[in-house]
Amino acid sequence: MLSIIDTVKSYNGNTVVNIPQLDIPTGEIIGLVGNNGAGKTTLFRLLLDLIRADKGEILSKEKNVAATEDWKKYTAAYLDEGFLINYLTPEEYFYFIGKLHQLSKADVDEFLQYFEAFFDGSILNSGKYIRDLSKGNQFKVGIAACLLQKPELLILDEPFANLDPSSQMRLVRMLKELPAQQRVTVLISSHDLNHVTEVCHRILLMEKGRIIKDIDTTADTLQELESYFEV
Amino acid sequence: MILTLLSHQWKSFWRSRNAGRSLAIQIVLGLIIAYLLASILALGFAFPHMLHKFYPGQDIIRILCSYIFYYYSFDVVMRFTVQELPVLSTQPYLGQNIPKRKLVAFLNIRALFHFLNLVPLFLFVPFAFMEIAPAYGAAGAAGFITAIIFLTIFSNFLILYIKRRTIISSWWLAGFFATIVAFIVLDYFHVLSLGKSSSNSFLRLLSAPALVLIPITLGLAAWFNNYRFLLGNLYLDEGVKEEKEKSSREYTWLRQLGLSGELIALDIKLMLRNKRPKYILRLCAIFMAYGFVFYTKENLKNPHMYLFLFTGIFITGIFIINYGQFLFAWHSNYFDGLMSSNISLPAWIRSKFMLYTAVSTILFILTSFYGLISWKLLVTQLAAWLYNIGINSVISVYLATYNYKAIDLSKSATFNYQGTGVVQWVYSFALILAPYLIFYPLARFVDPWVAYAAVGGLGLISLLLQNWWVDILVREFRKRKYLVLAGFREK
Repeated sequence: MLSIIDTVKSYNGNTVVNIPQLDIPTGEIIGLVGNNGAGKTTLFRLLLDLIRADKGEILSKEKNVAATEDWKKYTAAYLDEGFLINYLTPEEYFYFIGKLHQLSKADVDEFLQYFEAFFDGSILNSGKYIRDLSKGNQFKVGIAACLLQKPELLILDEPFANLDPSSQMRLVRMLKELPAQQRVTVLISSHDLNHVTEVCHRILLMEKGRIIKDIDTTADTLQELESYFEV
Repeated sequence: MILTLLSHQWKSFWRSRNAGRSLAIQIVLGLIIAYLLASILALGFAFPHMLHKFYPGQDIIRILCSYIFYYYSFDVVMRFTVQELPVLSTQPYLGQNIPKRKLVAFLNIRALFHFLNLVPLFLFVPFAFMEIAPAYGAAGAAGFITAIIFLTIFSNFLILYIKRRTIISSWWLAGFFATIVAFIVLDYFHVLSLGKSSSNSFLRLLSAPALVLIPITLGLAAWFNNYRFLLGNLYLDEGVKEEKEKSSREYTWLRQLGLSGELIALDIKLMLRNKRPKYILRLCAIFMAYGFVFYTKENLKNPHMYLFLFTGIFITGIFIINYGQFLFAWHSNYFDGLMSSNISLPAWIRSKFMLYTAVSTILFILTSFYGLISWKLLVTQLAAWLYNIGINSVISVYLATYNYKAIDLSKSATFNYQGTGVVQWVYSFALILAPYLIFYPLARFVDPWVAYAAVGGLGLISLLLQNWWVDILVREFRKRKYLVLAGFREK
């Protein structure tokens, strides 16, 4: 699905991402962990062609993301509130995103039914613009908009951070069910080691822009990670 | 403690992105403000002279005194519309170990730092020294100045109090306006003359300076009232107005345009739901009347008709000129999201062209009434309109690819220079003056109609080449896409 080849990105002499080679096969759920400043968000932005790599290339389905726009058709991402159009109502935003993927209003409405529990009654028909929603609810809008696109590649930056416990668990369940149903490749970053080890098949540990560990999740993974982060 | 808080405010003013961005803009703004204050001060010094001239042989102190209440009525209305409540600035301190009454005192003191509090001093103090002191002695002048100071304080805190009240209940708003209207009506029918009561009160004060205790009491009472109210209401959630229900809207008629239509709908919502772009829409409406300034008899007699091109471009292109300044920057809050979602760049750029064409055409049709003044104007506006949708639209999108400065949509429009940079200045000049490169020589040496035909014709040709332009602009945008994205992320 994704290949990162010899990619380097640095700001003012600080290398923030430096990945010689990384392949991500279709249908895997990858967890990205690492302390602040490890380069997780920068890596995501590189994958989405939002920043230019100093060196190397990123291939999505064998095509360079910086050279074509084909990846936009099957990639959905939510990194921060900067992905939401905040003066729209949540419904308008969903219809807008749906439209970008040739989904009719009815398709979108039908899809949103699955999110009733996740939205917990505080998003649809709330009479608010997205900018007036709480951070957690904004995040829910973002993630639902991603799933609405039926993506083949899903990228989420710290999805658990702003959610309440029930929503976190619902999200864990949704993510786990995803690849089985639709062969989706998922990339998430998180500081929550429990959730990450529960959801992900494979965990990448980043430190100062490098991937220093690449682990297939087993029963011992959580312990291994905890011992790394222990101070 | 209060000094520390004030120093934080000072820092927040100078370090806000809005202020810190460009030194040139700061200097210009500073000059404008200094100029305004100097004019007011000059007016204050000129009062004695002016009053002598307008009311020869009369007691000018009485006359000036009769205007003071009028001034404060105006002051009250001004404050109500422009003075902002300094309430949000306490948010980070509420959780800290600072007594509430200190925060409230801080809020009150902070509120005094407003130019409206300087204006009455500038206006009336020179007069006190020049005219009142010689006539009524030092005590009279001192009483007068003190009264002005405390009436200003009174007005300041009264309005802040009423404004805070209106946030909680809109009945206060209705009551406030009803009172103002009542005063105007009573004054108009001479039932209760503001002028008379003003001159009576102040002349009384001048002969018996001890009466200054009344304005002092009023001022202190207003301060204390505000203090007491804030102390009881310093909670985060209560400062927030009850929001109106927001409803979803669909522009079904835009659906037929496919993805571009969807993007246009996005721009329309952006304009209707955010303060600053909404202001630009109002500007478009106002500038439709711009023709009345230039389409005069004398100008119509001028055989070269130089000015009409400029006017026409302005009237039919005001939207391109103003909205286009920040064409992509309006979307800066979520540009990351737009650029990584399934929107092809050609469709994005085409939607901008469609928006420009639509709005300019609407403006062209609405302003065709100028044709009633002279049929010539219809032709010149037609040429200007074609030039706008054909060429200016292209220049606008091209320059948008050089604009790396973000816009925060939540900020209001007045005195907001955020996101303004060199590109914006170049932009306005390029849009308005560039056509004269073709127009002027033709109009001067050949024939003005040939010149208009050339400008309009070029616009039309360029309009027909739009698909070709889209390809070029996409290529140009790709070159600077990362710079634009990085700039917009930096808020």
